[in-house]
Amino acid sequence: MYPVHWLVWIDPHRRARKLLQFAEVEADGARDLFRAAEVVQDPILRRRFFAHARDEVRHASLFRTRGLALRRRLDRPGPDHVLGDGLLPGERGFDRLNVEAESMSALLAFIHLSERAASHSFAAYGAVLGHDPETRAVIQQIARDEEGHMRYSRVELSRVAPGQANRALWASRLRRLWRAYVRTALVMADMIARLILTLLYFLLLPPFALLARRAARKEPPGWHICNACRNDRTGGQY
Amino acid sequence: MKILGISSFYHDAAAALLIDGLPVAAVQEERLSRRKNDAGFPVRAIEWCLGQAALEPQELDAVIFYERPALKFDRVLMTLLRGFPHSWRAFPKAMNNMLGEKLWVRGVIAAQLAVSARRVHFTDHHLSHAAAAFLTAPTESAAILTADGVGEWATLTLGRGRKKAGGATTIDLMREVRFPHSLGLFYSAFTAYLGFKVNEGEYKVMGLAAYGKPRWAREMRRILQRTDDGAFALDLAYFDYHRAVDAAYSKAFIDLFGPPRDHFEPIDLSTALGQHYADIAASAQLVLEEVIVDIATSLHRETGLADLCFGGGVALNGVANARILREAGFDRLFVPSAPGDAGCALGAALWADRILFDRPHRDCPDHPFWGPAVVSDDLARLAAEDGFPFARLSAAERIDQVVEAIASGEIVGWMEGATEFGPRALGHRSILADPGNAAMRAWLNRDIKFRESFRPFAPVVPADQAETYFELPPGGARLGRFMSGVFPVRPQWRGKLAAVTHVDGTARVQVLDRGMAPGLHALLIAYGQRRGMPILLNTSFNLAGDPIVTSVAEGYSTFRRAGMDMLVADDVMVRRQRARQEHVLEEVA
Ligand SMILES: [Fe+2]
Ligand SMILES: [Fe+2]
Ligand SMILES: [Fe+2]
Repeated sequence: MYPVHWLVWIDPHRRARKLLQFAEVEADGARDLFRAAEVVQDPILRRRFFAHARDEVRHASLFRTRGLALRRRLDRPGPDHVLGDGLLPGERGFDRLNVEAESMSALLAFIHLSERAASHSFAAYGAVLGHDPETRAVIQQIARDEEGHMRYSRVELSRVAPGQANRALWASRLRRLWRAYVRTALVMADMIARLILTLLYFLLLPPFALLARRAARKEPPGWHICNACRNDRTGGQY
Repeated sequence: MKILGISSFYHDAAAALLIDGLPVAAVQEERLSRRKNDAGFPVRAIEWCLGQAALEPQELDAVIFYERPALKFDRVLMTLLRGFPHSWRAFPKAMNNMLGEKLWVRGVIAAQLAVSARRVHFTDHHLSHAAAAFLTAPTESAAILTADGVGEWATLTLGRGRKKAGGATTIDLMREVRFPHSLGLFYSAFTAYLGFKVNEGEYKVMGLAAYGKPRWAREMRRILQRTDDGAFALDLAYFDYHRAVDAAYSKAFIDLFGPPRDHFEPIDLSTALGQHYADIAASAQLVLEEVIVDIATSLHRETGLADLCFGGGVALNGVANARILREAGFDRLFVPSAPGDAGCALGAALWADRILFDRPHRDCPDHPFWGPAVVSDDLARLAAEDGFPFARLSAAERIDQVVEAIASGEIVGWMEGATEFGPRALGHRSILADPGNAAMRAWLNRDIKFRESFRPFAPVVPADQAETYFELPPGGARLGRFMSGVFPVRPQWRGKLAAVTHVDGTARVQVLDRGMAPGLHALLIAYGQRRGMPILLNTSFNLAGDPIVTSVAEGYSTFRRAGMDMLVADDVMVRRQRARQEHVLEEVA
């Protein structure tokens, strides 16, 4: 992964863009954790989630401030998102917490694993940022927090589900794998559908397009008799 | 008869339940799912509405969807065909999207609710808007105007309605303007261009407009032209939404107005560029007003009616609403609390009851509070568990303490009863503060709501004292009932109302009738006795990017995140205690 990371972070455009995207991810993570604090019944967990969410708010603002500073140095910042950005995940990987749908132990296992992944990737990003000490300092500071999150969530998991922590972690790992598989399958399906639809577009649509344009030319702008005045009392779809 | 209305799949989804012709419950999905502008099928909202009346879905007599999916599909497909071959990128995306579930609404509803597909009905998007505006308004006969981005094909309709308690109802929509010519999409293009989120940032364009001069009005009138018959047409060379579906404005647009605003950088009104964007906003706002006021004026001339009911997303533009009221010739202007697509859930249900099933009209209660109620015991429990000082108060004690807090510059989260239906906090889920303190506005924007510094806050005032402080035209109090109009603050009070007076001397005032929210009304009166003015700053109880809070747990969490000073939920009051709070945070870190 080292050369990939190095490649990603050496380009100043991409560096600024990634940091701003990370800021979004952290902000979403914070929102999810505040939500977790709202729905959880256990006061200790509520306090932990709240403090954790506040950390993520801080991370969002650190990433954002640094990203903006880098962005301001560019002549042309370019688009906010570029194909392939998704290959380098931020803190939550690709998944959002689904707070209401999960049991507390599943939630904690998920938090633990994604914080662990985050602290590893942030450490790796830091390692290739020798040329940009300021960004490196930001990322390393955040990576340290993520370690803290990783630890507290593990401790809480053992407290909430004594003797079942390992099982919850494995279930969560399997779920991550399963979700990754589903996501890939969906992306593939979407790409195939797009390909087919694009082919259809060019092969089948031209004559209809011609007709549609002719009809459009006949329809002047301005007032029209209301469609809804047909006084349709059938309640149909058309 | 039990009728469930549903709106979903485009902007903000919602559900509304009608029993024997009267609303029982209505809520936006975002308030329950906690995802702002949640457009997904409103499972939670439906569940909550049915739960309110202890109904099983099978007991529903009818479910009505707020628009006709097949007609919408027709428009999308036709637009793509007309855009051939430039629409090739948009085509697969749009088809995937429509064919996914939007086109099969009947099946989706029947499957989700386990009701017979025969009980699922549809109506026109703009009829839903019209019904939401007319059937909830306390008038028997009114002209009707609806305007939004786009429904199926229509983007603006004119009509009239007639109803009488116990009698029959008619809604006749006479004329419409069709996609791609749309006032809503015109305004949205500028929302996007100015770097705000479409369907969400339109308020910001209106707020920004007050800082600018309409220097670009001529260009705007070229883009948004009037047709000979009194309607309007967009010059499509400047727009892209009819080709690209997700892009709003074209290259010609950028050639004319310059590069779009960089949304990462805050608007700095002291720079030429910041002023340029404010001028653009002012120009777009002005031309929108000209067109809508003119259309409303001719509608008044044509119908000769005294009342106008206005629905659709454009009716959220309080500056335009106030101009319609002043200039179009109508005595009264009714804008419902939820004029946007969420309100169509209620509109569609009312339409089905009165017109599809021909049932006699019943006057709807004239308030917006149809959502989940506060459970104050929850707040007491949360505060006790987290070690926050809290108390149970009588009504009088509560008013005393809140008045005291606000008078000494504190910021109070105020939750009472059922949530509002619609985008505005009208006194049941509000953040209240001193309206006189200009620094308060900057502070609230920056530290509490985390939003742009140029955005104004709204005041709330008792109806019988509104005229003292605000220049209300005849009918203005009614328009201010749901905060739907922007009116001038009387010059002598502007200094004392600095936190709620916009840069142009106006305010989006809520004119509060005692009967609508007695708790807040009493608070205003008490505050007036203490400070001389019965006016409070009233902003929605949420942080930037979040939906307005619904439950006490959400209010409590927002209270803590924003560092507010006091939170009141019905009879329970919680206070911030700085020392204690920091202690808790350290302990966790
Ligand atoms: Fe983080
Ligand atoms: Fe974290
Ligand atoms: Fe609409």
